[in-house]
Amino acid sequence: MIRALIVDDEVHAREELAALLSETGAVTVVGSAPDAIAGMRAIRQLRPEIVFLDVQMPAVNGFEMLSMMDDVDLPDVVFVTAHDEFAVRAFEEGALDYLLKPISRERLAKTLERAGRGTPPEARPAIAKAPITRIPCAERKAIKLVRVGDVESVRSTLAGVYLVCGSAEYATDLTLQTLEARAGLLRCHKQHLVNPDAIDQISLADNSAAAIRTRSGQTVPVSRRYLGQIRERLGL
Amino acid sequence: MRILLSLIETLSVFVVLFYFYTRSRFFRPQKSEWLGRRGKLSLFVFCSALTMVGNYLGIWLEGGVVANTRAVGSMIAGIAGGPFLGVAVGVTASIHRLSFGGFTAVSGSMGTIFDGLLGGLVHLRRRNRPESLFDWRVAFAVTAFGEICHMGFVLLVSRPFSASVEAVKIIGPPMILTNSIGAALFMLVLRERERVVDQVAASSSAKALKVAQRTLRLLGNGLGNVALELAAIVRAETGVGAVAITDSETILAFDGLGADHHVPGNAIASSLTRQSIGGREVVFADGVHDHYHCSIVPDCPLDSVLIVPLVVDNAVVGTVQLFEPETRRFRNLNKSLGEGIAALLSSQLLMARYQEQKNLLTVSELKLLHAQVNPHFLFNALNTINAIIRSDPERARELLVHLSHFFRKNLKRSGELSTLAEELEHVGAYLEIEKARFQDRLTVETEVDPSLLGIRMPTFTLQPLIENALKHGLSTKLSHGTARIRARREDQQAVIEIEDDAGAYVERRGSGLGMRIVDKRLKAVLGESCGVDVTCVPDELTRVTVRMPAEGVLQ
Repeated sequence: MIRALIVDDEVHAREELAALLSETGAVTVVGSAPDAIAGMRAIRQLRPEIVFLDVQMPAVNGFEMLSMMDDVDLPDVVFVTAHDEFAVRAFEEGALDYLLKPISRERLAKTLERAGRGTPPEARPAIAKAPITRIPCAERKAIKLVRVGDVESVRSTLAGVYLVCGSAEYATDLTLQTLEARAGLLRCHKQHLVNPDAIDQISLADNSAAAIRTRSGQTVPVSRRYLGQIRERLGL
Repeated sequence: MRILLSLIETLSVFVVLFYFYTRSRFFRPQKSEWLGRRGKLSLFVFCSALTMVGNYLGIWLEGGVVANTRAVGSMIAGIAGGPFLGVAVGVTASIHRLSFGGFTAVSGSMGTIFDGLLGGLVHLRRRNRPESLFDWRVAFAVTAFGEICHMGFVLLVSRPFSASVEAVKIIGPPMILTNSIGAALFMLVLRERERVVDQVAASSSAKALKVAQRTLRLLGNGLGNVALELAAIVRAETGVGAVAITDSETILAFDGLGADHHVPGNAIASSLTRQSIGGREVVFADGVHDHYHCSIVPDCPLDSVLIVPLVVDNAVVGTVQLFEPETRRFRNLNKSLGEGIAALLSSQLLMARYQEQKNLLTVSELKLLHAQVNPHFLFNALNTINAIIRSDPERARELLVHLSHFFRKNLKRSGELSTLAEELEHVGAYLEIEKARFQDRLTVETEVDPSLLGIRMPTFTLQPLIENALKHGLSTKLSHGTARIRARREDQQAVIEIEDDAGAYVERRGSGLGMRIVDKRLKAVLGESCGVDVTCVPDELTRVTVRMPAEGVLQ
């Protein structure tokens, strides 16, 4: 049985696909999510083998969602959409398949056959993912999309990853690794990223480490290991 | 022999006079051969004078017999002007002849009138074949016949008969011969004139056509882009000293003498040009009475100018200017050609503008049609219904009815009018589908003044606006969203508001097309005071307001 997750903002679309998948007898639908943010969480928690992903969703679309995830977390991706204008891009993103709504049983069977053959991760096409411009963050009742330009630094704690934007902090599901790779933030410490545009001052300490002061006066530690890279990046 | 030679001498003078007469502005056929009223009058005066001079220059013989070339005058008047003119000239000449006296006076007068009549008959017979009217052979034969008759009159009327016989013997052959040759020569002069006129006309129309042909393909691109090329073409075809093309404020192109200081891109400096643009009139400084004074360089060679405004839709969009230097006369031909070219350019510009507007309209209509059959909407709707069939067939049936209702409304031609009620129905069908798609995420509130339900507006005024609110507003919201549709009266106006609580308007780019088309159509049908406005409070609401007269479009 293939473990599948459905991410789609329309409840009827989720139900219909779940029903079609169950009918095949080859798939267990382990969960579904109504938007990309919930989708990312579900992927991390439920570890599905395949995700059926709608392209057009509110706030963060399917493509953006993929770029916000670490490759190691990603299962096979099948895009599901009502229109075929995204087909080429979907395959550029390394999708396993591309399904048009309404979905026919025969077409879905072919997709599952392809999934059953299994693609070793290293055989997947290299994915040139889009840069991240907005970072989804969970607030108490809503999702906030923080613009990368507003972020001064990012810190990772046991409780999670936090974006530091002046006096405000937002928790995000994105990893430091993803943010470093696709949001243009610099690694300055094992547990910290800094936005190069927000650096106000770098003060060197005795132990050949350093500290960065950001434009709002926050301090971000710089470890010895990353100081060289930071200097190089800033052209010092 | 002496008589013959003197008559030929007289005739030569006549032919020369006639040559100048036919090239004067008094002799101007309306078409190639028909004379107007003024032309006929001038022909009468000229031919009468000719006959009188013929009387004076005639050879006086014994007993008041005059050998003369009077017949040529009345014959030409008849052939060129018709029997009435021929007879009139004949009568005038006869009265003049009678005043001289002599025993052949009466018979000679009869002969002259008869010649005029004969010429007139030729005119009547041949007027439908203009090319053969001025045939020298015909003129020769008819005049010879007329003069033989003339001699007959002398024999019949003049007494004593023996004197008449004597007179005819002496004057008959030379008069018959010279008058016939004279008439034939006159015809050749007329022919020649016609040929020259034709040539001039042919060459100027050939030029105009050539300019038309060379400019036609250019002007679709608007005046500014092709002015340089145009100026060069006009100059090459007219051969004038310089050609300028301006828009209403600056020189777009200048080709020819003085190009060193008449630089494209400069503002118009000439008062004559401003006069032409301001007064929407052709300004001509002929270089004789009026001069062109270059306002940039005092020793500019240009002295005469023709400035013709380019008028499109009653507004001056520019001018075409033809210049000649001081050393050359501004030819009349170029003046009329210049005016013709400007008229041609004006109409081509109008055509280009019309074409452009038509294309714009076609594009927006196409976009509208495209929007009407938004594939995303259709496939999503089908997918939703497909899913609902499984759980709630009755609801799926309802949705299919809404969907077909929506598409039936969409097939209405965009040029038609709909009442507000019909528009709301259309939008309602659309919203039913979208509500089914988004379920608990979408609420729609409607608040409409019932007295407005009957007002008419262009079909598809509301649907694109609602679709925008959904597509670019509410569907981007992660949480629940509300769309509000309101219609109310406000200061003689009907105000329709479409509001969503996403407040995402500022983030939209290039999506305002639907709104722009709605706005354009409202303004086109109801005037500039109507149209569409948008206000947006980011993250709070986007409100699109449609304003139109409270009575809507009247039928």
